Amino acid sequence: MPILEVKNLKAAYEKQVVLDNISFSLERGETLAVIGPNGSGKTTLFRAILGAVGYEGDIKISDGTRIGYVPQKIDLERDLPITVKEFLVLRSSAAPSGRWQAGHSPEEALKAVDLTPIFLNKRIGELSAGELQRVLIAWAVSGHPDLLLFDEPTASVDVAGQRTVYELLHKLQDEHNLALILISHDLTVVYRYANKVLCLNREQICFGIPNEVLTPAELAKLYGGDRKFYHHVHA
Amino acid sequence: MFTPELQIFIAGSLIAAAGGMLGSFALLRRMALVGDALSHVALPGIALGILLNFNLFLGAGIFLILGTLGIWAVEHKTKLPVDTLVGVFFTLALAVGALITPEEEILDALFGDITKISQLDFWLAVMGSLIIVALLLMFSKRFTLSLISPDLASSAGFRPHLLELAFLLIFALTVAVGIKFVGALLMGSLIIIPAATSRNIARSMNQYITLSAVLGVLGAILGILISRFYGFPPGPAFVLFAGALFFISIFFRR
Repeated sequence: MPILEVKNLKAAYEKQVVLDNISFSLERGETLAVIGPNGSGKTTLFRAILGAVGYEGDIKISDGTRIGYVPQKIDLERDLPITVKEFLVLRSSAAPSGRWQAGHSPEEALKAVDLTPIFLNKRIGELSAGELQRVLIAWAVSGHPDLLLFDEPTASVDVAGQRTVYELLHKLQDEHNLALILISHDLTVVYRYANKVLCLNREQICFGIPNEVLTPAELAKLYGGDRKFYHHVHA
Repeated sequence: MFTPELQIFIAGSLIAAAGGMLGSFALLRRMALVGDALSHVALPGIALGILLNFNLFLGAGIFLILGTLGIWAVEHKTKLPVDTLVGVFFTLALAVGALITPEEEILDALFGDITKISQLDFWLAVMGSLIIVALLLMFSKRFTLSLISPDLASSAGFRPHLLELAFLLIFALTVAVGIKFVGALLMGSLIIIPAATSRNIARSMNQYITLSAVLGVLGAILGILISRFYGFPPGPAFVLFAGALFFISIFFRR
C-alpha cells in the first residue's frame, strides 16, 4: 500500500488555480523528485500534503504516518531569542506525533547533520543560511518521520554541503525506509537520487521513472522554449 | 485574608506577570499594538457596566471575546491583515465607549486605578492572571513553533489557525484582567514594555519569557509604591517605571 496517494489534486489561492489535476503515489523507501519552473506550484503541493492549504481532490496518507518537513527558508529576525537547543526540543513534548526516543537527544540530532554541540546555545536568528538549513533538517529528522518533504533542500548550502545533505538523506532513507519527496532545480540530483519524478507546471506534465519520462521534449514543455538539457552521468 | 494594601500589591503583581508573559509572545508575533487596540474594544463593556451597575470585568470580558472572535472570523474570511481589522474594530468600539461612558468615570476607565479594587475584583484578577500564566505555559511550545513557521507547526500535527484563535482569546482575557490596573489607554504598556526590555537582554526563549514576567512584577510593585508616596494613579506610575527600565536595557542589548 502506498504511503502517499494523491488523486486529482486541485489547489487555488483566492481564485487563481496554482495546482490542477495532479495524481501520483509514493511507496516507503522511494524518492520522488518534484521539478518545475518557479511559481509552478511545487511548494503549494507540499503545503497541501501538510494540510496547511485547502484543496480539492484526494490526498491519502497511510495511517500513523509521521511527516517531516524542511521548508525552503524561514524568515527569522536576527534577535529572535530562541536557541538551537530550544528549537530542537519544540516538538518533543509539544507534538502529538513526534517524541524523543532514547538516543535521540538534541546533541545527536545536530551530530547527524554535522554540526557541533557548540551550536546548541546559539540563537537560531544568528545562524547562516546553510547552518539554519541543517538545523531545520535536524528538526525534521528528530520527529522520526516516515515521509519526509524537502523543499529545495540545498538551495542555500555550498557544493560540498550539498553533497553531505544528499548523502545524509540517502543514509536516513536506507536506515529508516523513509519515503522522500524533494523539490529540486538540479536535474543531476533528480537522476542520481530519485526513483520517480513529477514534473509540474501548475498541471502535471509528467510522472514516472526519470530516465523514461524526462525526454528533451517533455523538459522543453515543462520549462518552455528550446533550451538544451544535458544529462550528466556520474560514475 | 489579605489586607487591602497587600491585595493591591498581589493583584498588581500577578496582572503584570501575566501581561509580561503574554507580551513576550505578542512581540515575537508582531502583535505588540493589538493590546492597545483590544483595550479600546473593552471600553463599551466597561461603560455598560458603569451604567447598568454590573461588574466591569464582566462587561469588558464579554466585549473583548466578541471583538476577538469577530476579528478572527473576518480575518479568516477576507485575509485582510489583522492590524487593519483590529484598527477598524477598536476605533468603532472607542467611539461607542466615548459616547456612553459617564463623564465623571471616564478618567478611571481610561487610566485605571487598582487602588479601588473590590474584594470580587481582587479574586477575579488573581484567578484570571493565574489562568493566563497556566495557559501560556501549556501552549508555550506550540505558540513558539507556529511563530517560527506555521508550516512547520502543521508538519508537527498542530493547527496554526486554531492556535491563533487560542492566542487571541488569551490576549483578550489578559486585557480584561489588566484594564483595572492601567486602564484602556495604557493597557498596551503592560504587554509591550516588560517584554521589549526583556528582549534586549535575554539570551534564550526561557530567559525571555521569565524575565518579561519578572520585569512586569518589578514594575508593578515599584509603580504602586511610587503612587503611594506621590499620590499618582498607579497605572501611569507603572508605565513611567517600566519605560525607564526599557531605556536602561538598551545599553545592555546583546
